[in-house]
Amino acid sequence: MAASKASRIGEEIWKTRIDKVNAELVTLTYGTIVAQLCKDFEDDYPEVNRQLDKMGYNIGLRLIEDYLAKSNTMKRCSNFRETADMISRVGFKIFLNITPQVTNWTADNNSFSLVFDENPFADFVELPDDGRAQNELWYSNILCGVLRGALEMVQMQVEAHFISDVLRGNDTTEMRVTLIRYIDDELPPEDD
Amino acid sequence: MSAAIPSVACLGVIGRNNNPLHISIFPSYDPLANAFTPIRNPLQFSLLLSSTIDVFDLRSKNSTASGDYGLLHAIDDRLAAYGFETNTGVRMVCIVDMRGRRVEAGGSGAVGPSAAALGAGGGGAAAPSMSASSLGAGSGGPSSLAGSSAAAATARSAVGSVGAGLRDAELKPVFRAMQSAYVRLLQNPFYDPDEHAPLGGKGGKRITSKKFGDAMKRIGEAWTPGVTTL
Repeated sequence: MAASKASRIGEEIWKTRIDKVNAELVTLTYGTIVAQLCKDFEDDYPEVNRQLDKMGYNIGLRLIEDYLAKSNTMKRCSNFRETADMISRVGFKIFLNITPQVTNWTADNNSFSLVFDENPFADFVELPDDGRAQNELWYSNILCGVLRGALEMVQMQVEAHFISDVLRGNDTTEMRVTLIRYIDDELPPEDD
Repeated sequence: MSAAIPSVACLGVIGRNNNPLHISIFPSYDPLANAFTPIRNPLQFSLLLSSTIDVFDLRSKNSTASGDYGLLHAIDDRLAAYGFETNTGVRMVCIVDMRGRRVEAGGSGAVGPSAAALGAGGGGAAAPSMSASSLGAGSGGPSSLAGSSAAAATARSAVGSVGAGLRDAELKPVFRAMQSAYVRLLQNPFYDPDEHAPLGGKGGKRITSKKFGDAMKRIGEAWTPGVTTL
């Protein structure tokens, strides 16, 4: 499916089939979660990243059903490039109303970057000024988990992590997504 | 030749526990040294801000609905403190230096006496120099004045009443901008309002946010009489 067609689908669904919610509610709710995690884990930022990823994973497992129902595309993506376009132009479009750029493909077409020009989660946010958060916390790490969880439900095992974030002072917010393997339908373990 | 117009000398934010949350100090033009220096030291500004708390308290008995307290007190012939209070008890103070900034007159040098006349409180004489600066493109005056003759006219009328102080409405944009900067600060999930004004009425930390500091700096430097949005 061509990228432009994916854009059209995303736009169409966003306009007609999505219940909207106040952006500040989302921003503040997510911000509270991250701030509370930082407090609970006593500023152990790598652990906070892990927790966010885990929460995202659990969201992704469920969100994919919603995505498939709304986007009503029963057809599988024919390759990983198409998957990437659908993630950006349909997935992110209908849930967050953003379309991150899909760039920096590796030669084997198994790894790409999502570059976020805008990030509704990170509006107003300033990372704590303790000298560590700027280097250790990936504020929007929940998104990595969401992608991992959602793609796992459609037989794709991926690895996703942020490599830069404007909150840290980088020029862009960029997430790296790498396909590890297509999961074959596994047989249930036999009782031996 | 040049004329002096009001500028912001200090912006202060005071928490509901009467604790200082933020103080920004801006240099004023010093004609003797021909340089920009703050006209008071940080301690003096801090004391001036503290002294406004009493005025806020006195006036809160019959407070205005908008929270705008207007002129709190005129400190001397140059400095005047204006205030604003939110419903949560956060107070914002803007100390204005009535002669804090210099406006260059037009290149022709036709308007000689403006600066001296202004210093003596002659409002009428200020008018020609201001309009000259608004006409003389590239004469070195602040772009906000040179760009719009309407703004220059407002500024002129404000300058004309140095003795009486600025109209309270002139400071509205400052407080509006300060309040929205404060709102954005509160939206940051890592900013904990309780830390900065704990319940129980004692103390509180200062604001350390760089974004907020930058916003205050921008507001203080951009404001000039007649500006409607910051």
